[in-house]
Amino acid sequence: MKTYEVFLKKAGKEPFGHVGSLDAPDDHMALLFARDSYGRRSEGEQIWVVGRDHILAGNQSDLALADRSHKHNDGRRVSELRTSQRLKKELGE
Amino acid sequence: MKRWESLEDFEAFIVDGGIVEPSDEMPDVYRLAVFKFIELHANSEYMGGLTERDWIPKAPGLHRKLTALAKTQDEIGHAHLLYMIAADLGVKTRDEMMEDLLAGTTNFHNVFHYRVHSWGDQVAVAYLVDAAALASQQAVFKNCSYGPYKRILRRIIAEEGFHMRNGEELLLTMASGTDIQRTMMQDSINRWWLPAIQLFGPDSRLDDPLLRWNIKSERNEVLRDRYIQKFVPQLLNAGFQVPDSGLYQDGETGRWCISDIDWEPLKATMRNGGPDSKRRLIDAQAAWKDASWVRDALDEAVVSQ
Ligand SMILES: [Fe+2]
Ligand SMILES: [Fe+2]
Repeated sequence: MKTYEVFLKKAGKEPFGHVGSLDAPDDHMALLFARDSYGRRSEGEQIWVVGRDHILAGNQSDLALADRSHKHNDGRRVSELRTSQRLKKELGE
Repeated sequence: MKRWESLEDFEAFIVDGGIVEPSDEMPDVYRLAVFKFIELHANSEYMGGLTERDWIPKAPGLHRKLTALAKTQDEIGHAHLLYMIAADLGVKTRDEMMEDLLAGTTNFHNVFHYRVHSWGDQVAVAYLVDAAALASQQAVFKNCSYGPYKRILRRIIAEEGFHMRNGEELLLTMASGTDIQRTMMQDSINRWWLPAIQLFGPDSRLDDPLLRWNIKSERNEVLRDRYIQKFVPQLLNAGFQVPDSGLYQDGETGRWCISDIDWEPLKATMRNGGPDSKRRLIDAQAAWKDASWVRDALDEAVVSQ
């Protein structure tokens, strides 16, 4: 038996999401079991079944490590600058 | 992969609402506790699915047979999903869990150690037992620290919701039926009321690690009481009696109070010494044997590749 991971895509714009796993002897049976185990009530409109050993799992610490704040902008600087500009203008006039 | 220096660090992570994943280096005590909890849950779903299966041919009418079939698929499906995530914890394989269950060396919930005698019993199970199971699963889901279990519970809870509504529909159908139906239903409520409230277990220990590690989110007695406050009035409103001579409603708070529960029989039941435990296990062994040709065919398909 081989272990497979199952992904479902719900209707509409939702991306595929992982729903669980199953054991099956081959790919064909894996698809059948996936439908029976995870799609009995039409929970999704598409299903992906992937052998667990085909999944490349990245190193989690690579994702978590560095300071990524320069890749975000929470807009706080913008509002500070706007305020100071407005004050300058008001004082100047 | 997460890793903790000490059990204290791990517990601090849990208190902060941390989620543990299978690839994490979790403390062995936590791994074993989560595993045992999920294994018990899986076994119970499986044993429940087998009784459900018994009622597919006996349920009255095609519609009820179809819902019994759907519910059987759900319960066996729940067992399947749970055995998968339990096996990923690396304590036992799925086969080992099945062997232990059938050999009677592991446990399943008290409510599956009783015989389902009549259609009324089947309705009582759907109404009282599925609701109690759902309430305890919701309490686990709410704050569950083990990621795969939490994700699988979302699905299981959605399906248990169908079962519970189905149970209520069946109960109300019986309630608005003939005298024979109402008497049959009352008999079944008499049999299933106590097992259903015992499903929540005796009061939680003060230092229960399952609570500390966010596997359970609420104490057993809290869940049991909430269930009683909901189901006593529902049963009375439907025209049934609650089989408890000590039952009363507190005049000031309006809360329902039940007689003290003797927990000794539950302990024996949980050791597979309940009223119907032996037959249930023999039945489960027979079902497992009957389906061996399917497993053999699947194994052959593996070999032939
Ligand atoms: Fe279930
Ligand atoms: Fe159920």
